Amino acid sequence: MPLPPTWQQFLDEAGGLSRFTGRFFSQGFKPRYEITELLRQCYIIGYKSLPLVGLTGFIMGLVLTMQLRPSLISYGAESQLPAMVGIAVVREIGPVITALIFAGKIGSSIGAELGSMKVTEQIDAMEVSGTNPFKYLVVTRVMAATLMLPVLVILSDAISLYGSYLGINIKGVISMDLYFKQVFDALSFDDFVPAFIKTYFFGFAVGMVGCFKGFNSSKGTEGVGRSANSAVVVSSVLIFILDLLAVQITDILGLN
Amino acid sequence: MAKRAINNVKLGFFVLAGLLIMIFSLYMIGKDTNMFGSNYTLKVRFENVHGLTSGNNVRYSGIQVGTVKRVKILSDTLIEVSMLIDTKMKQYIHKNDIVSMSTDGLMGNRILNITPAKDGSPLAENGDLLITKKSVSTDEMLETLDKTNKNIRDISQELKLTVLKINNSSALWKLLTEETLPDNLRASSFSIRKAAANADGMVQDLHTIINDLRAGKGSLGSILTDTAIAYNLNEAVLSIQQVGNHADELVRELDDLTKGLKSDVNSGKGPAHAILKDSTLVIKLNNSLSNIEKGTEAFNQNMEALKHNFLLRGYFKRLEKRKK
Amino acid sequence: MEQVLTIKQESKVLEVTENVLVIKSLYKSFGENHVLADFNLELRKGENVAVLGKSGSGKSVLIKCIIGLLVPDTGSINVLGRNIEELSIHEMDELRTKIGFLFQSNALYDSMTVRENLEFPLRRHWIKLSAGERDKKVMEVLTNVGLAHTVDMMPVELSGGMRKRIALARTLILDPEIILYDEPTTGLDPITGKGISTLIKEMGEKYNTSALIISHDMSCIRATADRIVMLIDGRCYAGGTYEELRENKDPKVKQFFE
Repeated sequence: MPLPPTWQQFLDEAGGLSRFTGRFFSQGFKPRYEITELLRQCYIIGYKSLPLVGLTGFIMGLVLTMQLRPSLISYGAESQLPAMVGIAVVREIGPVITALIFAGKIGSSIGAELGSMKVTEQIDAMEVSGTNPFKYLVVTRVMAATLMLPVLVILSDAISLYGSYLGINIKGVISMDLYFKQVFDALSFDDFVPAFIKTYFFGFAVGMVGCFKGFNSSKGTEGVGRSANSAVVVSSVLIFILDLLAVQITDILGLN
Repeated sequence: MAKRAINNVKLGFFVLAGLLIMIFSLYMIGKDTNMFGSNYTLKVRFENVHGLTSGNNVRYSGIQVGTVKRVKILSDTLIEVSMLIDTKMKQYIHKNDIVSMSTDGLMGNRILNITPAKDGSPLAENGDLLITKKSVSTDEMLETLDKTNKNIRDISQELKLTVLKINNSSALWKLLTEETLPDNLRASSFSIRKAAANADGMVQDLHTIINDLRAGKGSLGSILTDTAIAYNLNEAVLSIQQVGNHADELVRELDDLTKGLKSDVNSGKGPAHAILKDSTLVIKLNNSLSNIEKGTEAFNQNMEALKHNFLLRGYFKRLEKRKK
Repeated sequence: MEQVLTIKQESKVLEVTENVLVIKSLYKSFGENHVLADFNLELRKGENVAVLGKSGSGKSVLIKCIIGLLVPDTGSINVLGRNIEELSIHEMDELRTKIGFLFQSNALYDSMTVRENLEFPLRRHWIKLSAGERDKKVMEVLTNVGLAHTVDMMPVELSGGMRKRIALARTLILDPEIILYDEPTTGLDPITGKGISTLIKEMGEKYNTSALIISHDMSCIRATADRIVMLIDGRCYAGGTYEELRENKDPKVKQFFE
């Protein structure tokens, strides 16, 4: 039975990504390990994303607080503001917003970088130079993205909560001590741990899709642009799908 | 090469910062759930836990000391709750301490409260079963409130009936509108005032006599040695005092009565009461009047006796002459 | 000069039987497109052979099969006495240290400086060198291509011709026995292209390499190649020196010389 072309393209894409992921697992954990390159990528992917992620996190916390405030006041629950913002940021907004920003910055840069390396034969050149380009380029980037996003999310959460603290102090008064006490009182491990674990998957998805798109970039500069673009689109959608899965799984495990 | 080393330092700083924040927040979250630090288990049994679950807080006199570890059903009427308590509390929690359940705030989570028994019982050991106190739950409160409401309904129904009956009874209203009663009372109080005035006059008389005595009219020494005179004088003063007391009492009672009547009439209740008061009043009034009469009589007698005393005879004669 | 030439000729004569590269009945197709069909080639030591063909005739496919970037459908490729089909990944990597490959687009790593680009193959092939030795080697090869001053520049700062020279330096740094050139003068102006052609010839002599040059640029081929193989319809259509082929009356051969 012939499938419509768009479906065929979609399935082709999904199959390709699955094979690519399989290749990652079959090759990624065998020597030789590209430690130096991994550290370099961690630096580029993690450290260099911090200002952007921190800025968005800060604004998010501030805006969320100011948006929630009027409705909480109308319920007379203004004192619940730190607890509500804390839960919202730690459980959902921190991980997802950070992952989306991360997808926008890192997904596209990996897609474009690998795409241009593919187009200018740099990947072939690596292979000729006795380097497994999959390990050197893909495994390191995917690992770096997987390891760095959780760190970024934690820092972004912290910055977000600080932003929220300032947001409360714009119109009200709360001490730093009381604010963080209320936030941590409202939080439990059930809030923190699933949200933290899912960020690994977000990071993995961003790295994997970015590398897949870049590695399979078609020839020409247009192909590079397209792979960067679709890397962002696909990884953003994947983040939401993974988020949906995560909430289902935590629900089944009774962690909600 | 040097650049790469600096980058690694930055990366290390970045990752360490993330790790530190994570460890800090895990510690902050875990601090209240007793995940860190040593603790021991205490048990308590309830009939109904009202939605208490593991992780709920346990407080000792309002201080956070631990969490609920597990809620286990023992039988259809008994549920055992295991609590993880901070080991530091071991020296405070006694075997007879009472555990009760309440709610954190109006709509908050369930919490367990350990209240010190203060009876000097031994300290609770790991795994000990503490005593429970049935706590007031919102449900029970509502149930009681419902009963109270029913009672109030019954009472108000009966009250309504009573009021209706009072309104329909003409006799009671007549009593209330009676005008002779206050008039009689007024008359009584008038006579009392008169009696008091008499007594006052007598005291004044005595006063003049004593003054005269002091002024040396008559023989002071004999007066003082004459025990009969002294006795008579004493008697007279006492009688006067009595009269005054009675009069005072009477006035007070009268006052009370009028006040009572006034309030009774104002609030429109207790005409029967007023009647009751009336009868006692009459008796008391009579008593008082007779007392006063007796007092004045005794005084008169004393005066007569004084007049006939040989020592004072001259004085009284002079007094009569002067009057003429 | 005369003496040097005679020595070189003598060595050529001595090793004439030693083929560094033997390709036998190579087939490679992409779907319905039969790029290589029964292609045969022999490359002797010290020889510079040019493979001439139109764009899309499968020239690049051929050298990518030799270096192992593409796997042929059938046929054998023997490099330095070893059949590459039978080699493990590790052995292949080892063999690759003896084969230089100059990419058409240079394939310089954009994220690295010229020095790092040149050091990359040294590091990756587990060649144990101290920092000083490595640095010496980098400078030596850069001086040979005439670009010692660019050592700390990024590839984007360089012109096309300079990039090509750096790329050549990178292939030379491992002292390869065979160098595969993929269209070395494409995208360059004729004067720069001529300079590159000269450099290829010079370096081939200096480092005593054999070379397989893929090109459709006749001036480059004329300047560098000892022998020309014409790749038409996926196989060796004609062969010989530049002069021999120019005399060839076959229309398919002739069109390259017009």
